[in-house]
Parts: sequence; structure tokens; C-alpha cells
Amino acid sequence: MKRTTIRAAAATSVAALILAGCGAGGRDGDSGDGGGGGDAAAEGDTTGITDTTIKIGDHKPLTGVAAPGYSEISTGAQAYYDWVNEAGGIHGRTIEYNVKDDGYNPTNTSKVVDELVLKDEVFAIVGGLGTPTHSAVVDFLNQEEVPDLMVSSGAQLWGNDPEKRPWTFGWQPDYEIEGKIMGQYIKENMPDAKVGLFLQGDELGADGEKGLRMYIDDQIVESVEYASGNTDVGPQISKLKASGADLVIGFNTPSYTALSQLVSMKLGYDPQWMYTNVGSDVNLVGSLLAKFSDGSVKDGSSALDGMMTTEYIPGLDTPDDPWVKLWQEVWDKHGEGELTNYRIFGMSQAYAFVSALQASGEDLTRERIVEVIEKDGANWPGPGLAPFRWSEESHLGMSGMAMSQTKGEDYENLTEVLVTDLGDAEITEGDTAAAEDAPPENGIPDVAVVE
Amino acid sequence: MQLINTILGGLSLGMVYAAFALALVLIWQSTRIVNFAQAPMAMVTTFIALTLIESGMNYWVAFVAALVAGFVLGALVERLIIRYVDHDNHINPVILTLGLFIVLHAVAAVIFGSNFQSFPAPFGLTGFSVGDTTFNLTPTSVFTILIVIAVMALLRLLFLKTDLGLTMRAAAFNQEVARILGVRVNRTLTLGWALASVVGSLSGLLIAAGGLVHPSYMDGVVVYGFVAAVLGGLDSPAGAVVGGLLMGVTLSLVSGYLGSGLVPLAALIVLVVVLLVRPGGLFSTSTERTV
Repeated sequence: MKRTTIRAAAATSVAALILAGCGAGGRDGDSGDGGGGGDAAAEGDTTGITDTTIKIGDHKPLTGVAAPGYSEISTGAQAYYDWVNEAGGIHGRTIEYNVKDDGYNPTNTSKVVDELVLKDEVFAIVGGLGTPTHSAVVDFLNQEEVPDLMVSSGAQLWGNDPEKRPWTFGWQPDYEIEGKIMGQYIKENMPDAKVGLFLQGDELGADGEKGLRMYIDDQIVESVEYASGNTDVGPQISKLKASGADLVIGFNTPSYTALSQLVSMKLGYDPQWMYTNVGSDVNLVGSLLAKFSDGSVKDGSSALDGMMTTEYIPGLDTPDDPWVKLWQEVWDKHGEGELTNYRIFGMSQAYAFVSALQASGEDLTRERIVEVIEKDGANWPGPGLAPFRWSEESHLGMSGMAMSQTKGEDYENLTEVLVTDLGDAEITEGDTAAAEDAPPENGIPDVAVVE
Repeated sequence: MQLINTILGGLSLGMVYAAFALALVLIWQSTRIVNFAQAPMAMVTTFIALTLIESGMNYWVAFVAALVAGFVLGALVERLIIRYVDHDNHINPVILTLGLFIVLHAVAAVIFGSNFQSFPAPFGLTGFSVGDTTFNLTPTSVFTILIVIAVMALLRLLFLKTDLGLTMRAAAFNQEVARILGVRVNRTLTLGWALASVVGSLSGLLIAAGGLVHPSYMDGVVVYGFVAAVLGGLDSPAGAVVGGLLMGVTLSLVSGYLGSGLVPLAALIVLVVVLLVRPGGLFSTSTERTV
């Protein structure tokens, strides 16, 4: 009796699987119908596009260990897409933005991206966040030939080998050039500092360390790694303290910035801190630390006073910057709650994607947008302080950043924008044009359609 | 210096594992169930405390309220759920507690949100210092160590010196005989779960103090607390405390000298070695049960 039940169940599951397979195939075939600029001229894949809409997908940690801060990014992007849609969209198409929660767990990322690509049939994945998470889907997206644009992570994987991953493009400066720029600054301005490294045990830490060691290998006295998820960093900070390091550089996520500050306070360890841009948001870290103010921690963000970091897009500390004024206007109209630097990150990223749509013209296909970004992306004006490195040879994102330091809740720039590339490429002062360009009046990118 | 600070950090963390292991042992002793839901139960009561503190209540009022909530939650779980599972098959209630683990996680995420939030500490968070050296021992960690020792002493008093303790031990030892002798076995079982849940809640509050909480912040503790309980012997409250301290110090040393990523692996190795070499745990008194 039991055996028959099991057999029946097995047979049913197999049948279900086969049906599911057919279903997916069927949809693939259909997708052309609703699609595309319609005319025969548009050769290529028009999945996710109709004459009036473009459907895009994204994966972000909306819950879990990486959610503080990062979960706000997609609300910023959504507000900017609303702004564009309200103005009639791009070439007559409005943007439908689907963001799914992966909880910063690569297994979930695979699942939600499968859904976005196979079930929701999005045109592209835009802004997928995280190194471990996006690594889990990058091969799938390239195999399925889905544009994988503006990955929210500073790993090099997204852009250093366009032949292997022709459909993927980075967005922010990678951690190696961030490390290089920090390293050069320390070598020139703090040549006597004894440097300790506090690193997340993955590419974030490893690439940052690689860049730093190109300049200050002889100044580094200790290097510790933590495993993301293990919130007890006491042993790591004890080791740094014992080494006598008086400048600690963290390549870590925001929660670990808070944890490293907490533990250092316990240990009475007070070095100069320098954090990677991705882990340094003063408002967020300050709010996490705000409750420990019983005489032992300086309250809130003042705990981070004097911390050094890097900047590559203008943020809330420069409210008069024309880009920040635009973001504020967009947010007042389409957002709820406060504008934050994470929301500005989302809007800046959405702005770059909209530029790509603009430049692609009416006959949009998956092949077309990739070609256009390679050909012209490096020239598009935008909020970034340094231009993108996008070309046929490189899909890496922005090429530079400026060193900055906190003063209360504000940042103060320590250097001009510094521009460089991977490996032994020299660090030079950036072309000021990229840092000084202003957004068009209506807040929608004004780039010419690429021939 | 690094060694001393790493060990001191391990000691206060070990005390939390000890409290958690103690909670597991309490339930194991009275019902032969390993309660994996202990972690999310403690997480829920800690969030209750946090909500009260954020609404402006005194830390200690919230602290006591969380323990009371733990008592009620433990009693409810036993009364409404565990009692109706087939206990003849040992694995059924254990699987049920795993299910409860997932449910409580999801419910807490819905009610309290899944962001990291900071949890205040009752005492200072700056380590004591002698001259120029600061030790990784804060007033809060001293409080942690003292309160776990006090709880252990109270439980020992309860079980060895009171009538209530005697009936609880009797019910755990042999339900049938205890029933014949007039012990209300069902009631003592509920009480056992409630007490265990109070101790579990305490460990949740202690590890949260001066740190960050989110719905899965206790997940590591359930693993290390379980290994600590097995190490000390699931039948021995004193063993649970020693096991907790050993785990805390060992894992701290592994993290500080070998690598933070190896901590879960080290816990697993301890578990395997204990099960191979001394399956009853370091402090086991009863002979192994044969099947």
C-alpha cells in the first residue's frame, strides 16, 4: 500500500516537472510577440520589452544581516524610476522595477533571479547587490544572455573579463582601486602610521588588501579577518590592539563597522579609523551605536568623528550639490521617509541605467543596450565623481574616488578626485569635468542615441 | 595581552553558552527532549524587552518583564503544543521544536522587523583598566558572569532543597511511579518548561546586552550551547556550565589565533570528539542508555 503511494507521488512529481519545463519553453517562444519596437529592424532579444514598457529585475537584501542601509537602495531607485515614468518614460516606454529580497544569502539569490528571468521574464537585472550573492547568478545570467547591469558591489569579477562575462557591467569603483587610493594617501600623509587591517573574509577584504599593499606593505603590522555572520569580533580587535596598530583600515559592511567600534570601546582601543565606502555611512552606523550612550560611548555618530573614508558620488553632506538637490526633489515627490545616502546610491545607479536606455534609442534589444554601454557609457555625464571605465576591453565601473573625513555628521574632502585602474596603473587627479557636471533641468539624462 | 583579552572575552561569552546549555539540560532532564526552539524563544523575549525599553521603560523593568514573558512562553509551548506530540518516538518532539524554530523566526521578523537594532547594556561597556592596559572585562560582563552563577545556585537549591524540586526530580525520573505517589506530573512538566525558558531568556538578554539584535542573533548560540550541553553531559547542570565555559574560551581562541571562519568547524569537531570518546559527556553519571 505504502509503496504504491510513493510510486504515485513520484510519478506525479515527474509529471509536474515535465509540465513545468514545457511551460517555461512555451513562454520563451511567446515573449517575442508582445515585444520589441515591433518592426523587423529590431534584430535581437526583446524579452521584457513592449512598445510602452520595460520590465527590469533586481535582487537586494531587504532582510537579514546586510539589510541595514542596503535595504533602502531599491526605494531610492524606485523613486527615480517613478520620476522618469511620470515624465512619460524613455522613448515612450515606462520602467517597471521588480526588486526581490535575497536576504544576502546566495542560495536565495539564485532562486529569486531564476524567478525574475524565467518566470517574470525581465529585460535585464539592474543593480543586483553583493559579492557572494551576485557571484551565484553571474554565470547563469551570462549563459541566458540577460543584461546584468550596474552590479552593486566593488568586486572585479563584474568587469575584468568581458569576454567571459560579456553581459555583466560593474558600477561603483572596485575595492582594489579603493585600496590603492587609500594606500597612496597614507604613504604620502601618514608615513609613520602603524597600519592594522580589519577585513571581511572574501573579495571585499582581499581586493582592498591587495590595493593597500601596493603602497604601504611595509607599514602594515597586522591583518585580521572576520567571517560574515559571526558577530563576535572581540578576538580580532584584541589582536589588532596587541599589534600596536595606530591606524586601522576596515574593508567591511556597515554592521561590522558598528561592531568593531563597540568592541574597541570595550578594549579601550582608540586608533585612527579608516573604512571602505561600503561600510562607512555615518548616519546608519551612528544610529546603531546611539543606544550605548551610558557614559561609555560618545553618543551616536560622534563616535565616528574623525573617521576617514572615500567618496565617489555626492551625498547628503553636500546639500547644495546640484545632484543632491535633484535627488531631494525626486525623493520629496516619490519617496516616503527621509532621504538617505543609500537612497541616493539607488537613484544615482538608476540614473546610469536610464542613460543607457536613452542612448539605446527606440529599437531596444538586449544586444543593443550592451553594445551601447560599451561604445558610449564612459562619456555619459552623471553624479559619479569619476567616469565609468566601460569599453570593449573593460566592464569595470567608476574609475576613481576622493578621500574624505567625517566632521560630526558631515564629510570633508581630504583630496581631489583620484582616478586609476587595476594593477600598476598610476593614480592621477581626475578630470574635473566628471565631478563638476550638473544634471539637466528636468532630471532626466540627456544623452544622444548612439549610431 | 592578546591572550588574556581573548580568554576574558571567551569567559563572558562562555557564561552565556552555559546559561543556554543549562536551559537545554533542564528540559532534557525532565522530558528527554532537546529543545531547539529555545533560541528563537529567547530572541522573542529579548525583543519584548527591547520594545519596552524603547517605549521609555526602565532597563530592569524590561529585564524582569522579559523573564516573565519567557516563563509564560515556555509554559504555553509545553501546554499547547509539545504535550500533544507522540512522545514514544523520541524524534517527533525534537522535529517539532525545529519547526517551532522556523515559525518563531518568521513571526518575529513580521512583528519586530528584521533589521539589526542595538540593545542597551545595564552597566558600562568600557573594560576595566590597570595603568595603561585595558582588559576585555567590562562591568556588563562581570554582571553576566555573576548572574549566571547565581541562577545556577538557585536551581541547585530548588532541585535539592525544596519539595517542589523533589517532585520535579521524581516526575523526571519515573513518571508512572511519581503519579502513583501523588505527584501531578503534567503540572511539573509545564513548570519545567517554563523554568527552562526563563533561563533561556536570560541567556538571550545577556548576549544582547551592548550588542546588536535581529531575528537570527541567537542562532549561533543554539549551536554552541547545544555542543556545550553535550560536552558537559546532557544530564548534568554543572556539566552544562563547565561545558559552556570551555566552549566560550575554546571558540574565542580559535577565532583569535586560527581564524574567525573556523569557529563553527571547531564546534563541530568538539561535538564529534565528545560523541566518539565520551558520549555521555564529561560529567555524565548515568550509564549510557541502550536501545
